[in-house]
Order: sequence, then C-alpha cells, then structure tokens
Amino acid sequence: MGVTKKSKYLYLGLATTVMAGMLSACGGNSNDSSNSGNTNNAAQSNNAGSTQEKVNLRMIESLTSPARTELLKASIKRFEDANPNITVELISPPFDQADNKIRTMLGAGEDLDVLEVRDLTINEDVTNGYVENLEPYASKWADYATVSQAAKTVASIADKPYFIANGMYERQMFYRKDWFDAAGLAAPKTWEDVYNAGKKLTDPSKNHYGFSFRGGPGGNGYVDAIAQSYNGTNLDEADGHFLKDGKTSIYGTPEAKAALELYQKIFKDTAPADSINWGFAEQVQAFTSGVTAMLMQDPDVIGVLNEKMEKGTWASTFLPVGPTGKTFYGIGAAGWGMTSFSKHKDEAWKLIEFLSSPAENTAFCKAFGLLPIHSSASEDPVFQEGPYATLLEMNTKPEDYIPLKPNYSYTEIGDWGDVVMKNTQAWLLGQASLDDTLKILDKYWQDQKAKLAK
Amino acid sequence: MQKKLLVSAKVVYLALHAVVMLFPLYWIIITSLKPQKQIFSSPIHYWPETLTFDNYKKLFEFSNFGVYIFNSLLVSIAAAACVIAISILSGYVLARFKFKGHKHIMFGFFLTQMLPGIGALIVLYKMMSSMHLTNHLASLVLIYTVGSIPFSTIMLRGFFQRIPSSLEAAAMIDGCSRITALFRVIIPVMLPGIAATFIFAFVNNWNELIMAVMFIDSEASKTLPVAMNSFVMKFDIDWGAMSAGTVLSVIPTIIVFAIAQRFIVEGLTQGAEKG
Amino acid sequence: MLVVMGGSAAHHFFNKGGLKFMETNVKAGSTENKAKKSRFSSQLWFIWLCLLPVIVLVLTFTYYPVVRGITLAFQDYNLMHVKNVKFIGFDNFKTIFHDNQFILALKNSLKWVFYSLIAQFILGFILALVLNKPFKGRGIYQGLVFYSWALSGFLIGLIFKWLYNSQIGVINDLLLRAGIIKTRIGFLSDPHWAMFSVISANVWYGIAFFAIMLLAALQSIPGELFEAADIDGAGWLRKLFNVIIPYIMPTIITTTLLRVIWIFSDPTLIYSMTNGGPAGLTNIVSSFMLSKVFGNGEYGLGSAVGIVMMIMLMLYTIFYLFATKSEKAGDF
Repeated sequence: MGVTKKSKYLYLGLATTVMAGMLSACGGNSNDSSNSGNTNNAAQSNNAGSTQEKVNLRMIESLTSPARTELLKASIKRFEDANPNITVELISPPFDQADNKIRTMLGAGEDLDVLEVRDLTINEDVTNGYVENLEPYASKWADYATVSQAAKTVASIADKPYFIANGMYERQMFYRKDWFDAAGLAAPKTWEDVYNAGKKLTDPSKNHYGFSFRGGPGGNGYVDAIAQSYNGTNLDEADGHFLKDGKTSIYGTPEAKAALELYQKIFKDTAPADSINWGFAEQVQAFTSGVTAMLMQDPDVIGVLNEKMEKGTWASTFLPVGPTGKTFYGIGAAGWGMTSFSKHKDEAWKLIEFLSSPAENTAFCKAFGLLPIHSSASEDPVFQEGPYATLLEMNTKPEDYIPLKPNYSYTEIGDWGDVVMKNTQAWLLGQASLDDTLKILDKYWQDQKAKLAK
Repeated sequence: MQKKLLVSAKVVYLALHAVVMLFPLYWIIITSLKPQKQIFSSPIHYWPETLTFDNYKKLFEFSNFGVYIFNSLLVSIAAAACVIAISILSGYVLARFKFKGHKHIMFGFFLTQMLPGIGALIVLYKMMSSMHLTNHLASLVLIYTVGSIPFSTIMLRGFFQRIPSSLEAAAMIDGCSRITALFRVIIPVMLPGIAATFIFAFVNNWNELIMAVMFIDSEASKTLPVAMNSFVMKFDIDWGAMSAGTVLSVIPTIIVFAIAQRFIVEGLTQGAEKG
Repeated sequence: MLVVMGGSAAHHFFNKGGLKFMETNVKAGSTENKAKKSRFSSQLWFIWLCLLPVIVLVLTFTYYPVVRGITLAFQDYNLMHVKNVKFIGFDNFKTIFHDNQFILALKNSLKWVFYSLIAQFILGFILALVLNKPFKGRGIYQGLVFYSWALSGFLIGLIFKWLYNSQIGVINDLLLRAGIIKTRIGFLSDPHWAMFSVISANVWYGIAFFAIMLLAALQSIPGELFEAADIDGAGWLRKLFNVIIPYIMPTIITTTLLRVIWIFSDPTLIYSMTNGGPAGLTNIVSSFMLSKVFGNGEYGLGSAVGIVMMIMLMLYTIFYLFATKSEKAGDF
C-alpha cells in the first residue's frame, strides 16, 4: 500500500510541475506584454486620484480606417498638448466589428468615456441609457451656434443632442466624364437619364456598363431613394417611408411600382448581372476600375476616387430626380458622444468640444471627405470646387432636392436592409413578381407603423 | 509499367493541385507589388506594369505592422504550446484508461464544438472585464488555449490510440514509470500527431479575429487579423495594404509549417526504429 | 518544453516508486485481485490529475458563459431594449421555424456541408497519399500548398469574391482569354453557380486540413504493415483498403466528424463572399444566425438558432458514431 501512496505523490508532484510549467509559460507572455496593459492600471489609479491628477480618457471610434485614425490621432495630440493634465487612449477596432465591440463594452460597463455614435446606433445607445444627453454641455459651448441645423437634428432624439457630429454624409452622383463627353451625353439629371445614358454606355463586349448597381448589402438605400423620388411631393419629409397622409407607405403606391419597374430596367440593361449581389466594395471597385459609368455614393468616397482614378476622367453631379422633378436625400452622420457612466464627464466634453471646433472639424472633414458641421466652413476654398461644390450647391436648392429629416421613432428596423436585399434579389432574378415584392416591402413598413402605435 | 503510370499520375496531380492552390497566392503577391491605380486596372494585368514596394512601406509607416506580427506570433505560439502541454496528458489518459466519467468527458469535449456562442461572448466579456483581464495579450493566450483544448485532446487521443500500449508496457517493464514511458517512448513516436495538432492550434490562433477585437484595445497589443481587418473600410477595401499584409502574414505560418513538417518526418524515422 | 522537463524531473525524483509499482503489477500473479485494486486507485489519481486543468479551464471559460448565454434563446432579447427583457418561452423557436428563409438556409446548409466535406476529404486524402512517400522538394511543396489553411475564412472569402467577380475578377478574364467562355459568368450572382462558387472556395480552404491530419496519421503506420502486404503481393488499391484505411480509421472518423461540425457552424466564408445572396440561395443556418444578430440585434432569436444548430449537430454526432461503429475507433 505504501507503494501506491508513493505513486500518488508522484502524480501529484507531476501535475504540480506541469501546472507550474504551464503557468510560467503563459505568465512569461503576460510579462512581455505588460507594457501594453499598463494603460489599464493607469486608468484605475486615475479614477482613485483627485481631479488634480492626470486624467486618462478612453475613447473608441466606429467608422475606422487607417487614414482616418491617423487624422484622429493628430487631433488628439493637439488636444493633449493644450490640456496637459488629460491623456486620451484611442481604441480603433476594425470598421466591420466596431459597433459590435462598442455595444459589448457598453453592455459590460467597461471603462469608456467618449464613443463614436452613428445615425444607425443612436437609437440603441439612447434607449439603453448608454449615452449622455449633451444639452447641458452644448448650451455652454460658444461654437454650437454655427453647427448646422442638419447636424443637430441627425444627432438628436426628442430634441436632445446625444452626439456632436464629426461630419455629414450625403449622397450624390459620380460619373465618368470622359465617357459621357465621348458619347455626347450630358450629366444625368433624372432617373430616366440614368437609364438612357446608362444603356447607351453599356457594351458588355468592352466590359462597359452604365450604372454601379448595388443589389447586395446596403442596396436598400438605392431602392428607397428611387421609390422616394417617384412618390415626389406626396412624401412626408419627416417620415421618409410614408406619404403625407401618414398611412400609405412609399411602397404602396402606383408611383412606387413605376419606380421599381425603372429600377429593374436599370439593372437589366445598364448594370452587370453580377451586381445583384454587389456590396459597397464591388460597387466602388467597378467604378474605379472603369467598368461602370455612374456611381451614387457618399462624399467619403472622393478620397478613394482621387487615389485610384486619373484626374479629369470623372466628375460629380446632383442626385437624379423623379418624374415630378424632385428628389429626396437622407443625411447621415457619425460623431462623438459621451458614455452615461463616464467618471470624467467634464474632461470628456472638453475633448468632444475640441474635436468639434470649427478648425478641427473642418480640417478633419477636408482630409477625409465629409461635409463639415459648421456652416461657416463651406466658405473654405476646398468646398467651393470639384465634387464638394456640386454637393453644397444641391443643398442650396431644398425645393427640388429635399433633405429627409432623420426619423428615430422606429426602433426595430435593423433588418430592413436584409429584407430588401433578399426580396429584391428574388424579384430581379425572376423568382418573385414585382407586385408581391412591393406587398412585402409595404407590409414591412405598415407593421413598423403598427408597432409604433402600440 | 503500372508503377511508372502511378508516378506520372502523382506528378500530374501534384502539379494541378499546386496550380490551383498557388494561383490565389500569386495573385495576392502581384497585387501587393502593384501601385494603387493599377490594382483594379482594366484590362487585368497578370504582371505589374511597374513594380513597387509602396504597399509594404505603407504598412510599416501607417501602422505598427511589425508589432502586430510579433504579438500574433507570441500569442499563437504560446497558446498552442500551452494547449499541447495540457492536451498530451488529457489525450493520453483518455486513450489509455477506461474509468467512470470517461464517456462524459469525451462527450463534453465534442459538445464544445457545437455550442452556440452568440450569447456566450457577452458573458465571457463581462467575466474577463470584471477580472481586469481585458486589453492584455495574456487574456488571448488564455482564451485561445481553452478554445483549442477540446479539439487537441480529441486529436491527440486518436494518435495515442494508434500506438500499441505494448510499447509503453515494454518500457515500464524495463523500469520506467508510466510518465517516463509517456515522455521517453510514446511522445517521440507521437511527434507527427503532436506536430499536426500544434499546427492546427497555431493556425486557429493566428487567424482568430472576434476575440482579438473584443479583448484587445490598445495599438501595442493588437494582433494581425485585427490589423488586416481594418483595411476593410466603409467604402473601400485597401487591397494594396491588404495583399501586402496577407503576404507578410503567410510567411511566418509557412515557416512554422516547415518546422512542424520536420517533426513529422523525424517522428516517422523514430517510430520506424522503435516499431 | 517546460512540461517535458518537468515530467522527466518528476520521474528522476520518484523513479523508485514508479519502478516498484511496476514490479508489483508485473509480479502480481496470484494476488491479482489485491494488486488490481491498488493499481486502480493510483490510476484514478493519475487520471484525474491529468484531466484537472482541462476540465477546470473548459468549464470556466466555455461552459459557464455558454450556459449563461443560452437563456437568451428564451427571451425577447433585442439590443434595442437590453434593459427590458422578458422570458417568452419557445416563441423564438416558433418564429424561426415559420421563417421561409430559415428553412431555405437549412436546405442550403445540407448541400454546403455535404459537398464541401466530400470534396475536401477526397482531395485531401489523395494529397496525403501522394505526399506520404518522401521525394525531393516534398517539404517545400507541403509548406507552399498548405498555406491556405493558414488564412482566415474571412480573408479567403474576400479574395475569392474578387477572383469570382464577373466584371473585374480574374477567373472570368482567364476563361475569356482562353476562349473557354464567350460571355462572363456571374459566379456569385447566377443562381446556378452561386452555391458551387462558395463551396469551391470552402474546398480550396479545407483540403489542407485533411491533408495535414491524414498525412500525420499515414506517417505513423509501421513499415512492417506494408512489408507484410508486399509479401502478400497486394496491389496498391488493396493495400489502400486493407491496410491503410483501417489503420487510420480513427483519424478519418474524428476529422470528418469535427470538420462537419465546423463547416456547418462557420459562417465567415459565406458572410464575406455573398452574405447569403442572391436571394438567400447561399444562406446557411450559421450565416442566417449572423444576419439576425448583426442586422437587427436579435440576440434572442440568434441564440435560439444556435440551440437548434447544436441539437442538429448532436444528433448527427450520435448517428455518425453509431453508423461508423466507432466503439473501437473514435469512441467515447
């Protein structure tokens, strides 16, 4: 029996050594990386200390791109130089995963002071009480006066601002000027023009097509756009998926049918068949690589076009209008908000205020290709010419180019994109009729309206 | 005659396989050497008109690409080593002994491969956050280790089973303890299986994205997949940087593969001696 | 490395004990019963000490979060109202089984798993057999062709999406230049091609896994087995079926079993290549789940899909292990 006892010790000893080996193997690594983890400790000691001490702000961005992160870092550096008692730790998760990470961090109450809120996430963040109402701070901010109304509306729920936009997104039409000139075509003004010009420029043997169609993820923006412009003046600008009567959805009208019939023709006659499944990357790549002649996109694509295309081959114009000569456009935005559980709210606001100042914001927008939030900025020469000029000019004609007011009352419309994608794809492939498709889209919004009434 | 046919069939198969496998790599390599404007040029160029290393330069100027590679290597190798260390014991025990709970444990391992992870990630994040384990490479080592344990144990158990227990019985008669027999006699024969399992765990860690995004905040602790993923932006995929990054990220794995391959061959010869 | 050292150090320290213990065992003879009992308890010690780290780690970091997370499936958990979550019983399950897209995704998943697995396994096995005997440059060849396994599914999806693109993709361009096709093929948009295209990318990705695992198994086949077969004058086909396959059967069963589970549950390739399109024709259950969770923040529904997936996989595993009579092979 003594023997067995000994062998027990053997195994015990062995297991201990193995465990120790493992722990030291793993622990060694953690030592190696301790310099990267020390920010955590710094944050903790700050929390414990008085306000006299250095404050460390944790900030996270959502629409990450390496170039944009560089710009942000430069801004933060200037902020830190101006505020030596504050340091900022910027977290830059990849774009595709960023919102997911942000909501996980918010849900866990992880240390976070400043975050990028988007038009797509504001509803969720406010409903869950993650973000702070910025009104008390903004009301004391001198530069808030020059922030455009559009920038204020898009960042507000029930008239309370929850973020200060860092730039505005607004679509316009980009087109191949060289192709249009060679074919003797003028820049497209209406959706009919888009179709006609597109058809003329389409030549599959040369791999040339008219329109950079987007049938995959994000395609709902285009279906909405053409349906809205065909519904024309009947449309409720404050509730972009419904008419002014407050009952009829934009997909429940004969105009919508006409719009989608044209949309189908645009797909069949002016776009590659492949585009039924295209997302943002293919849509933009097709334009930059000389496959398609027209691209409807936000201004942050300008940088990509400048980088990948020869100067003079492309130009920009207004969005296409519907039969009544009117069209609608949504204004998108992302910006800086503050967590409701931040322990350094005053410092966080200082940072937001700094990043949103006319000088910082204008520089940021210029460099990255966004519309600045301060009305004063449009006087900057950069915004007076080229692709920005057409965008700003379009904004000066609100009787024909009508901005839609963001509507945050529908809370569960996150799957709208998915619904549009699957159903319009089935219809464009001939698996479903247009009438049935319109019925599904109409029903979706009627259901949302009904939920609202509850 | 039949043998010759077999050899030439082998050669043809290997060549075809290589073409299919290597073409995407070739495409990524030449893309990484093209200037931005030529990447999506039409007609398509199968050889760059002008060769440039700008994409690589950009990687190191714009980001800490060297740091990311280092972090990824560190985490992947450390976690794979921990996994092998732990799973050798569990795999061995599960292969050699029948005991009460044996079935349950095996079932528990298989089950981990099917568990729904959607809600679990939120819980795991809260756990790690409350233990102050976030933003630390060690947290990735821990998670990756746990993640690969079930698979590695199952795999290694399979390899242990194939080795006749007479091998260690003989060694034990010669005066070795079971543990010595395991490490002196069995493990050398097992090297191919261990190497294959190591490769597998390493590669899993090397590519892991979601956990790395979730648990790491700071630039200094970022890993490769996270850095590569940030070339996918709102309106564009920066294929110049992406392809250069892919090339750089493939090189270390090919080296690790090559080293592990040597073990597979060594294991073979040792196994032959012992057998 | 540390562990190996730790192991041998422990051995030197306790060598005597181990030696005696073995002697007792071997010399037990008539007193077998008594010896068996003592061996049993010491074995138990050994067994559970070896298993302890594994069990503790897996329970803490895998099972605990999963069990906690599973409750979501029975709640109307939506990110839009995290603070106001209700238990709704099996409503989420009813919802998904009434969703045509889910039924379509189920059918697609079967195709996706079946063809991906068959092609990966056969091609991987052939490759392993061809690489089994050493030849000049074998190491380099392996290093080169196995790299696909070292890329992430997400990245492979992006690369193949580009290669398959009908307008700017290389595959169409090459086929056109070679005169094999006259008009461009919409590999990812044509309903006849879309599933083939995503599966082919998945096969490309997974061949290396089988090749590596099966090669490792082949390498451990003792030479005598072959010699015996050679003496019998068996042809290579008979050698394959009578010697090789039976010997590596445990590996075949385990790898195919695990691979089916992974192929079934991994949405990344589909997510980055087609997002389930066109019209849901390439949507599989796991990508369906992803779109529910990322699209609308419906974690409750997503978790319910996750549970359905788990049950399907459990049934499959039990059936598979039963059908392969793996009592001796991958048994548990």
